[in-house]
Amino acid sequence: MVFLSRASKTLKSPKKLSLLQNHSTLNPLSSIFRRNPFFNKFNYDHFGLSQSFCSHSRQNSKENAIDLSQFPTERIRNFSIIAHVDHGKSTLADRLLELTGTIKRGHGQPQYLDKLQVERERGITVKAQTATMFHKHHFHGADNNGANEEPSFLLNLIDTPGHVDFSYEVSRSLAACQGALLVVDAAQGVQAQTVANFYLAFESNLAIIPVINKIDQPTADPDRVKAQLKSMFDLDASDALLTSAKTGQGLEHVLPAVIERIPPPPGNSDSPLRMLLLDSYYDEYKGVICHVAVVDGKLRKGDKISSAATGQAYDILDVGIMHPELTSTGVLHTGQVGYVVSGMRSTKEARIGDTLHHSKSIVLPLSGFKPAKHMVFSGLYPADGSDFEALNHAIERLTCNDASVSVARESSTALGLGFRCGFLGLLHMDVFHQRLEQEHGAHVISTIPTVPYIYEYSDGSKVEVQNPATLVSNSKKQVTACWEPTVLATIIIPSEYVGAVITLCSERRGQQLEYSFMDSQRAFMKYRLPLREIVVDFYNELKSITSGYATFDYEDSEYQQSDMVKLDILLNGQPVDAMATIVHNLKAQRIGRELVEKLKKYIDRQMFEITIQAVIGTKVVARETISAMRKNVLAKCYGGDVSRKKKLLEKQKEGKKRMKRVGSIDIPQEAFHELLKSS
Amino acid sequence: MLRSTFTPFFSTLPAKPRLPKPLPRTIFRASTQCPPSVRQNASLSMPAPIFPPPTSAYVHLPFCRKRCHYCDFTIIALGSASNQPEDDPRMVNYVQLLCREINATKAGEKTYPPLETVFFGGGTPSLVPPKLVSSILDTLRLKFGMSSDAEISMEMDPGTFDAKKMKEMMELGVNRVSLGVQAFQEELLKSCGRAHGLKEVYEAIEIVGSCGVENWSMDLISSLPHQSPEMWEETLRLTVEARPPHVSVYDLQVEQGTKFGTLYTPGEFPLPSETRAAEFYRMASRMLSDAGYEHYEISSYGKSGYHCKHNLTYWKNKPFYGFGLGSASHVGGVRFSRPKKMKEYNGYVENLENGLVDWGESNHIDAKDMATDVVMLSLRTSRGLDLKSFGATYGSSLVLSLCEVYKPYVESGHVVFLDEQRRAMAVNEEDIEKSLAYIRLSDPDGFLLSNDLISLAFAVVAP
Ligand SMILES: Nc1nc2c(ncn2[C@@H]2O[C@H](COP(=O)(O)OP(=O)(O)OP(=O)(O)O)[C@@H](O)[C@H]2O)c(=O)[nH]1
Ligand SMILES: [Mg+2]
Repeated sequence: MVFLSRASKTLKSPKKLSLLQNHSTLNPLSSIFRRNPFFNKFNYDHFGLSQSFCSHSRQNSKENAIDLSQFPTERIRNFSIIAHVDHGKSTLADRLLELTGTIKRGHGQPQYLDKLQVERERGITVKAQTATMFHKHHFHGADNNGANEEPSFLLNLIDTPGHVDFSYEVSRSLAACQGALLVVDAAQGVQAQTVANFYLAFESNLAIIPVINKIDQPTADPDRVKAQLKSMFDLDASDALLTSAKTGQGLEHVLPAVIERIPPPPGNSDSPLRMLLLDSYYDEYKGVICHVAVVDGKLRKGDKISSAATGQAYDILDVGIMHPELTSTGVLHTGQVGYVVSGMRSTKEARIGDTLHHSKSIVLPLSGFKPAKHMVFSGLYPADGSDFEALNHAIERLTCNDASVSVARESSTALGLGFRCGFLGLLHMDVFHQRLEQEHGAHVISTIPTVPYIYEYSDGSKVEVQNPATLVSNSKKQVTACWEPTVLATIIIPSEYVGAVITLCSERRGQQLEYSFMDSQRAFMKYRLPLREIVVDFYNELKSITSGYATFDYEDSEYQQSDMVKLDILLNGQPVDAMATIVHNLKAQRIGRELVEKLKKYIDRQMFEITIQAVIGTKVVARETISAMRKNVLAKCYGGDVSRKKKLLEKQKEGKKRMKRVGSIDIPQEAFHELLKSS
Repeated sequence: MLRSTFTPFFSTLPAKPRLPKPLPRTIFRASTQCPPSVRQNASLSMPAPIFPPPTSAYVHLPFCRKRCHYCDFTIIALGSASNQPEDDPRMVNYVQLLCREINATKAGEKTYPPLETVFFGGGTPSLVPPKLVSSILDTLRLKFGMSSDAEISMEMDPGTFDAKKMKEMMELGVNRVSLGVQAFQEELLKSCGRAHGLKEVYEAIEIVGSCGVENWSMDLISSLPHQSPEMWEETLRLTVEARPPHVSVYDLQVEQGTKFGTLYTPGEFPLPSETRAAEFYRMASRMLSDAGYEHYEISSYGKSGYHCKHNLTYWKNKPFYGFGLGSASHVGGVRFSRPKKMKEYNGYVENLENGLVDWGESNHIDAKDMATDVVMLSLRTSRGLDLKSFGATYGSSLVLSLCEVYKPYVESGHVVFLDEQRRAMAVNEEDIEKSLAYIRLSDPDGFLLSNDLISLAFAVVAP
């Protein structure tokens, strides 16, 4: 209702005088509101707009037009596009969709498959997206039923994210494919995620087609890239395709190569149905939509299927392909990738990696994938203390479309009720926050991200600590040992930066495992690094010391024993639980000082003097004070006109409301946001 | 425009939006921040308040020779050429309109109690010819009646009146002068764009004294650009020497849209730093208290018996009329500000005369609004918030929450808890809730941070 009053005010004030002068204009608002058609239309529009990207399926003529039975496995190809960040996967996908007439050229936005607002704003792919295309091609390998008639192939393309946080999306996508286009920027050459993604594909035994993209760039050097591909991955130079997804150069070779070099899906159409659940999301209108790859057998609308994981049975209400919009086909055959709507109530029922089968038959479950691993944890709290339920609702809805986040309730004395969430990485956390705000209108405060530590106590018990505030150490329960997670990091840099990078890695407690040269200009390094050290600002730092040239990727590795201590932040002697962190003993003082200085910058002066301390146990490692505010008084209330003063005080009250109160100290939300940014 | 204005509203609605009720035609609803129909006032239980008719009137006389550099009030600059103000049609017409407004005013009661205070504010009311002032006072007397001992104040600026004019004003009934001296340094007067110099200041003090104005106030501004502690001390010393029974000390507010607003940033040179501005405030409090003035309100000091009665109606949240361009009134529980533009004010008076302005009814008054007014205004005074009457009107649970909020600030010395006999109490005293009778801000520490302290109470009263 607040908005109503504001809206009416805006409308009304310029009319104040006429309001007083003229009867007929007395109720400008009501006359507008009574104009129902406008009202209803607008209302409709609004909700229409807010529906998510994953909406309507085409029930139209296409349902009949697409006859999937025309595509036996030998005329199906399933492939992913994988690459380092920004090497042009999504743009290449655009071109292929256009080439096959799946989308119209020039219609829709570039990077068509990046549909989330975060993706569009950041220009990155966060979620893998599948699209089915049809392409005619003469290929002697396939049986050629008409003499000159070019046979049509069904091609499933999966565009994947490049960023390391989302490599889980890549592994999942690869499980539905028999081949991959390994895209490499012709100027940048092989980069860290190229290496990581190559190995993901290689280990999944996929046919790999190297695509050297962006050859239109003046600095493009395809020959060097070819040499790198050979030396790093033993990929033949003659196999590489040269393309420009921008100008279209060389694109005509891509789909023929896909058809000729990637094997058809291996499944058996005569076996009982087995399909792999690849992904799921929630749609306002249809409910849970699952992406599936039919490995064996055939699925029809109306079939009864069961989950191998839960035993739960479902009716197939709709089945079809992503073309790229959901397009009903009524059936999916062996080797095909598509979607099903099965009346699941929540995406929690749709376990990624699960095997779905006909309820009547018994099958051997597919191997699935290993669950996503949560690298960082952070507390999420409603920015406006009273909005816990709203945040709860928003998180529930968003996790329906991003199952890779773990969520557990927790509470903080400083921030109230909230959630402890586990993320795949910091970018993932950031994206999750942004989606919470953009797609669900939630405003959150997040606490300093932490990695999961393992602590051992004197009584021999061990705990995993996902929230530093929960780490207790007292005489009864003394910490005897601590283990922290590590990663295996791949760093690729121009050779002149080797020295700087080695220094950085050793500052970050890294241990060098491998150091070689990819060619005369590029060095390749492997390090074991504590996850804690890379989670926040390592990549930025790495970029800045290498003029932006370094690329970096990591995979999680084992835990190592370390001297990790809890660093508390005290405001006027009171610990603020939401600001506690776990740091390496040797770095505690520097980090403590950094945190304390940041807080000093962001906490406004208040009526009291405020002391800010960083403390380990009882030892103060850093300290600052914020002097008391001297004066904040509006002297004049002229002619008894209190309105202005009152407005000012109301504003001040509202400002205070937006702060978090710890004891009697008001902490602005930015202070919490800023703390996130230090390591 | 409609679209963008309404979007957030719609988006908060879960399903089918309801049509808001049409807005009734009342001044109250036309002028206040939000229509009462959408306010929530469930949390405060309040008996229908009784609003006595006002016995105070504020009269706005907006004319100035020129605009001072810090001023953003509703004024009309006449220009220095206007040496023959007697017949200046702008003043004549304005006063006519003003008197029409007074005459057209209905207070809802059949009989009006006589006025106890009248305050001519501006602008520079002393620029207005006595003849015109006389017609205003006559109109007020005829309409409402006037107590024989009514306090009739007028803001007067040095250089705008001589002994003759002063005497004429006194004969009309003006018996209190609020003298806009502002500073005792020529360079400061100049730099803040005052239309008078130091010579006129001394002349004005002399005239006020020689004419036998017994009840007068010296109005000062602290924290002017380039003002040094020495200058401020000198100003205060000379003020005390001039022996006004009342002193007002306003702290310079740099307002947007004023010349100062474009030139200066608060807290930055040549304005004094926050620390120094606070020091100025303390200095005034100390020197004036030492000289026998009671610091009875954030910016007001008075010898006993000389507190400004008119301003006290404001601090006590009592009703008052407002007449003239841009003036505010508080009648029947409704606060209303008149249009600030002459053309619109003119239209307003016409509507008033034609009975088209409805004053609204007191049952629409929002209890929270009233309570925040009471808190805000009373905490500006040394008397403080009277908890007995506040609790009786707005509920004792509200009083308890206020105590809780202020306890830490009693300990820090910003707030004082007083018992019935106005003895300071310690927060750890037993039964403090029982014997606590007043809450006030301390002088000068609490007054200095009054915005913060009062907004704390807002959060309790109207969360
Ligand atoms: N010059 C040139 N620019 C290209 C070409 N292909 C893509 N780009 C540009 O490179 C940038 C990244 O392209 P994307 O398609 O979003 O890259 P991506 O690999 O999908 O990125 P992520 O999904 O974030 O990993 C965009 O600005 C594209 O316009 C190309 O062939 N030539
Ligand atoms: Mg992309």
